[in-house]
Amino acid sequence: MEDIIICRCQEVTRQDILDAIADGATTVDGVKRRTRAGMGLCQGKTCERLVARMIAEQTGRPLSEIVPPKSRIPVRPVKIGIIGGEQDE
Amino acid sequence: MSKDADIIVIGGGIIGCSAAYYLSKLGKKVLVLEREDITKGSAGATDGVVGYHTKKPGHQMDLAVQSIAMFDHLSEELGMDIEYGLRCGGMQPAEDKMQWDILSEIVEEQKKSGVDIHMISIEEARQIEPQLAPDLYGALYSPTGGKVNPIRMTMAYFRAAKRLGAVFQTETEVTGMLMEGNRVLGVRTDKGTYRADAVVNACGSWASFTAKMAGIDMPIKPRKGQLIVTEPIGPFMDCTLQCARYNVIKFRPEVIRDPNVLKMGASLSIEQTESGGLIIGSTRELVGYDRENTLEAIETILKRAVRFFPALKDVCFIRAFAGLRPYTPDGLPIIGRVDALDGFYMAAGHEGDGIALAPITGKLLAEQIVYGKESYSLEPFSPNRFM
Repeated sequence: MEDIIICRCQEVTRQDILDAIADGATTVDGVKRRTRAGMGLCQGKTCERLVARMIAEQTGRPLSEIVPPKSRIPVRPVKIGIIGGEQDE
Repeated sequence: MSKDADIIVIGGGIIGCSAAYYLSKLGKKVLVLEREDITKGSAGATDGVVGYHTKKPGHQMDLAVQSIAMFDHLSEELGMDIEYGLRCGGMQPAEDKMQWDILSEIVEEQKKSGVDIHMISIEEARQIEPQLAPDLYGALYSPTGGKVNPIRMTMAYFRAAKRLGAVFQTETEVTGMLMEGNRVLGVRTDKGTYRADAVVNACGSWASFTAKMAGIDMPIKPRKGQLIVTEPIGPFMDCTLQCARYNVIKFRPEVIRDPNVLKMGASLSIEQTESGGLIIGSTRELVGYDRENTLEAIETILKRAVRFFPALKDVCFIRAFAGLRPYTPDGLPIIGRVDALDGFYMAAGHEGDGIALAPITGKLLAEQIVYGKESYSLEPFSPNRFM
């Protein structure tokens, strides 16, 4: 059970996340900075709810009070050339 | 009145965690008070350049030389891999002769600190970094600089300090100082009051507010840097690389004529991390405490990235973020005792050099607090210069 992968992109296990919470993480970003969960290609779209639920379970805080991760540009991966342009232009 | 610790460190960023570690190592009982979480602020929103060539010639460079030497064995000492890329090198390609001439002048000054920094042709630069665009003018090269994972480094200091007995209390906001005349006796927080023999202000971009609580003005302002992360890719580059404009903006802003470049302070700073993603920055914007990303900045940064590394146009970026660098008017950090206040110390204002200068800052500050005198003088960085 503890070796279940919670963050697929970064291959972060349930145990890694439990360790991060024991280390003091009380927010989804706090877990992310300790484990890289949510730092991969999908930017936490799959794992952030699971992580939030685990924090709530472990700390006894209501799920509604677990601070979600900050949303940032871009919504999905974008090729640099689309915004940065072709060098030859 | 009984005390809660020998020393209270306010701020759980790279500087606060480093100070906590070196103070604990000297046998002090340390209490770190952090408003949110360890590495929640700028230490968790930056790149990992540990280079010489981006340092201001003179005192700051001399301090950097000592700090960077400490990185060699830091993972071992702290008992955690901080992903330090030893001697990956630092490079700054110039686009034209004017940039080359300015860089050459700065290099002559920087070399006086005994560091290997020199100018190389674009052909030599491309032998080191084959992905570089061939139509550049030449480059500054510093073969001995390194790069680190700043989040892991902060966590490593935090955990090593904890093992030595330091107590870290997160989600605790300091709201005022406990004072008796000019003596600082401790702090008031939203979780109660704490007493100690000395208080260290390691609040980075927020340090001026903490200083104000003790009744002093410290001229530290937040300067926003926006960065972009790409998807992980195979080995692409080794160096940490900035475009020449980075040093030109930092040390010779008067020669920049384009008002947009000056306003955003946009230049390229790029490195590949251990996990394969590239971190691409950055801007230098004085826009208060705003930490949002702007499309304008992202476009400017990515255009520069493609200008220097054309192959990047086919790589995806997955996230943008921003951090606040604690800016000081003279470009030097503020480290050491405040003469006008007994028991109050500053360790902030490192702007973009907090990661590289954290080891030496923590070590020398701890020596000053514990022994009364540090092994290498912090005088040029003394807070008393602003009093």
